[in-house]
Amino acid sequence: MIAISGQEISKSYGHYQVLHEVSIQINQGECFALFGPNGAGKTTLLKIFATLSRPTAGQIKILGRDAVKEKDMVRASMMFLAHGSYLYDELNAIENLQFAMGLRHLTPSLRSIASTLDRVGIGAFSGMKVRNFSAGMKKRLNLAKAMLAQPHVLLLDEPFTALDDSGIALMQEYIVERVTNGGAVLMSTHDRDKAAPLAHHAGVLSQGILKTVSSKAG
Amino acid sequence: MGFFKIMQWVVWKDLLTEWRSRETMSSMFFFALIVILVFSFSFSMDQQAAQELIAGIIWVAFAFTGMIGLGKSFAVELQDDCLNYLQGCPGSKGALYLGKVTANFAFMFAVEVILFPMFIVLFNLNVIEEFHILLLIFLMATMGLSAVGTLFSALTVQIRAREVMLPILLLPLVVPVMIAAVEATKGALSGDSFALYRQWLELLAIFDAVFMVVSFWMFEFIMDE
Repeated sequence: MIAISGQEISKSYGHYQVLHEVSIQINQGECFALFGPNGAGKTTLLKIFATLSRPTAGQIKILGRDAVKEKDMVRASMMFLAHGSYLYDELNAIENLQFAMGLRHLTPSLRSIASTLDRVGIGAFSGMKVRNFSAGMKKRLNLAKAMLAQPHVLLLDEPFTALDDSGIALMQEYIVERVTNGGAVLMSTHDRDKAAPLAHHAGVLSQGILKTVSSKAG
Repeated sequence: MGFFKIMQWVVWKDLLTEWRSRETMSSMFFFALIVILVFSFSFSMDQQAAQELIAGIIWVAFAFTGMIGLGKSFAVELQDDCLNYLQGCPGSKGALYLGKVTANFAFMFAVEVILFPMFIVLFNLNVIEEFHILLLIFLMATMGLSAVGTLFSALTVQIRAREVMLPILLLPLVVPVMIAAVEATKGALSGDSFALYRQWLELLAIFDAVFMVVSFWMFEFIMDE
């Protein structure tokens, strides 16, 4: 089944066209890596798939549902881990996870939150305010969010940035796990070495045009 | 039930964040304190003028203080792109709106509760007999201010000059609430019969209802893009 489908997506900001008729299709159990230089439109494309931005033209379907008309259903089935960490400085790690899950109508037990924090390697800091976290710790906490939410569709913007070697391995392990369990992953990254082994398909976005699409990038 | 759960989570997060940082409440409190002291010194020689103007002074202090809190309400969501997470979550955005309104109402009302005794002392107000009416006026007017203020806080949060734009857009809209609040407060503080200023409370109730319904409906569109 097709998990993520984007047909001829275009996006303009005024006279400046960021995306030019980009088409992507990702099946369940597949990972698509999107490469490209800064300003190529990768984040814009991810935001459009995440329903955070409307395309100027084109159609997006997530798990067969129209991302504009059935936004709510689409949002419930996906998670977008963006550049920003989506975390509140004054809340601790547990509280941040409780809030993030609460907004998604999920109520994980404290035990499962604690074990997830242990898995991402920040269990010892679960009661610490996020304001004291490093960028890598915030990234791990965000990964914990995805682990708790178990979305069918995972959108990742520069997933390896700020992570140390063990964090990168953890992120890669989770992407493989998601894909193995039938999820679909779309990630944008500059880090070909780390993303390519995970990706079933890869594309290069340059000046808003998806130029190359190859299968079995690894 | 999911609707109220989301609302609860937003209120919980905003109150807990504020309890720990005390950022919004402290700036609101000190601003209001300065306003009260300035007015108090200005009218120290003319108690009669002070008595005539006190209702207006109270609501100028409360409205501008509330503006500070409302301005910060969505600004905190810009940190670490939290606003994007709120936008991308499933479920009604109306629940987010009502959660934010509740939290803003709590901040504004808490500051009013702390500051009103200072008005009583500095302006020698007699409020014992009409205390319950004043409480009702404060609750209703604060609800009106936070209902429409929360919407405009969300509307202006992504604008670069949001600190300027929020009062420019909000103040003309809340004029009816302010007039009704001032007139009702004046009536209550003067010891007038309730029947004489009852219509102002009715007007407040109407504006609260209209602002709440319209803002609730518009919030969904604002959060969409």
